[in-house]
Amino acid sequence: MALTTFGAIMGFAAEMVGQSGNIYRNLVQQAKDHGLKETLQALSAEETKNHSLMEKTRRENVTEMILEPIAGLQKEDYEIDLKTEERMEDGDLVRIALALEEREKRFFSDASSKLPLPEAARIFRKIALRKQENITRLQNLGLNQTLKKSISA
Amino acid sequence: MKRVKNYINGEWVDSKTKEFGEVWCPATGEKIGEVPFSTAEDIDQAVQAAKKAYWEWRCTPPLTRARYFFKLKDLFENAFEDISRILVTEEGKTLDESRGEVRRMIENVEHATGVTTLMTGYNLEDIAQGIDCTAERQPIGVFGVIAPFNFPAMVPWWFLPYAVVCGNTYIVKPSEQVPMTQTRIFEVIDECGFPEGVINMVHGAKDAVNGMLYHPDIKGISFVGQSSTARYVYKACGETGKRVQSLGGAKNFVLVMPDAEIDRHMPSMITSFYGCAGERCLSGSVLVAVGDVYKELKEKFIAAAKALKVGNGLQEGVQMGPVVSKKHREKVLGYIEKGIKEGAKLILDGRHIKIDGHPDGFFVGPTVFDEVHPDMTIAKEEIFGPVVSLIHVKNLDEGLKLIENSEYGNATCLYTTNGKTAREFKYRAVASMMGINLGIAAPMSFFPFGGAKGSFFGDIKGHGREVFQFFTDTKVVIQRWT
Repeated sequence: MALTTFGAIMGFAAEMVGQSGNIYRNLVQQAKDHGLKETLQALSAEETKNHSLMEKTRRENVTEMILEPIAGLQKEDYEIDLKTEERMEDGDLVRIALALEEREKRFFSDASSKLPLPEAARIFRKIALRKQENITRLQNLGLNQTLKKSISA
Repeated sequence: MKRVKNYINGEWVDSKTKEFGEVWCPATGEKIGEVPFSTAEDIDQAVQAAKKAYWEWRCTPPLTRARYFFKLKDLFENAFEDISRILVTEEGKTLDESRGEVRRMIENVEHATGVTTLMTGYNLEDIAQGIDCTAERQPIGVFGVIAPFNFPAMVPWWFLPYAVVCGNTYIVKPSEQVPMTQTRIFEVIDECGFPEGVINMVHGAKDAVNGMLYHPDIKGISFVGQSSTARYVYKACGETGKRVQSLGGAKNFVLVMPDAEIDRHMPSMITSFYGCAGERCLSGSVLVAVGDVYKELKEKFIAAAKALKVGNGLQEGVQMGPVVSKKHREKVLGYIEKGIKEGAKLILDGRHIKIDGHPDGFFVGPTVFDEVHPDMTIAKEEIFGPVVSLIHVKNLDEGLKLIENSEYGNATCLYTTNGKTAREFKYRAVASMMGINLGIAAPMSFFPFGGAKGSFFGDIKGHGREVFQFFTDTKVVIQRWT
């Protein structure tokens, strides 16, 4: 499905961060490593904040004068398998978190160049940068070597 | 089935009428509510409440009055999505368009809170030896707005916040076609806790309009609607000695020069003609191809118009909704028939559009006529629908002539990369709202909104700085104490 309006992009962004937030809340329960648990909690809190930010951005930045059709963004390009198991190892949790952060980084980065509203575009760019920081943080988690290997695999 | 009520003196009250109108969802074609056709007696009840509330409100310091609007802004933010969705349901526009409209409504509240600066007068000492003079702005009394169907949330708020923040009291008469949006907005007003009688709402049609126009205690009227009614309102207010700002219809010309960046600006052109299904006084209506640009413009415009996603505005991603009513759809279709009969070439036909799951909706698809002559009805009259008339002219002068000959002068737009052309256009085109490389020349709350020629009757336009003059009298005080 093509995301052809400001509202459709903002709606999808809100849905995406909401989805990630739900998954993080589940992952937090399963994490054994203390550092990983803390990171996942932080990511969960961040997504709650992002969700509010998306709604606020949609509400405050909609500009009737330039509600022009937007081209070049497909919802399907950002769909990933979001299935989680009831019992997962820490390595799996990190892999899922990385997939979520990478998906969002890609989406917010792509969409920022499509939005005709500078404030909304700025917020998207900022989130994309934050997502890159989160990716680095997840990759640098001080977990054991086996886990590191399984993440990189 | 919801039957909306009037809001008078801080209470929800039933109208005294026995006549009710129907409210429809344009996307589904279903009846969703009823609206009372309030009587002159209902209007009088609201006027008496507003009149009673006036003096105390007028004596309330402007900053205190502004604080009500600060609170109201926050309450509107909380109700933003709810208001937007109700608006889509009864008017038909898309969610994005609806949110954009509610945003503009709130921007007027924000602008009005600047009353302590914007309402000030001026003074000069020693206008003669030892004599000082001040010009002070004072509120006047009860004002009212008669609003159109196409922007049910925003239009009353081009006027209301300014009138009220200046110390006047107010009556809103929403369009009888779309009464639910303003009803939801008044729930928020009720929550805000304005003093009783300061802001009132009476639903209705012709009787309510005449009740307002001819009420001796209403000091001024703001109207937005079609030009024939705007002229009627203007005359009636003249007869009864009221202040009036009466905004009428439009026939907006969009000129595209051969040097225009067509690909870059095509989304803007499409929004101009098809945004809000063409039901706005700023919509492009006549697409004027200047010189060599004709063939390329036509091909690209048709391709973009065909690609528009038409549907139920509540579905995110829909780019154009239905028109407001079955009757209005028939009117738009009538214009298309007339265009064909008068010899224009229908190159994109939106008459038979089918929307999945919405067989009874009031949809008209994007429509384009080519080979339109300036004398044809579709080139002259306001259609208020997604119908584009394409006219090919040789040069800018010919394009400007089209604008000059139109009975309307609301808005016009030009697409060009040439500053000299833009300057020439800005200088000569007779329309009060102008877009250069922009398809919707919509002044924001801090600039005035209104047209020229048959598009506007009055002198002081909606919102902007000037509107503070409309809602106040300038009292000149000359003093000698020496």
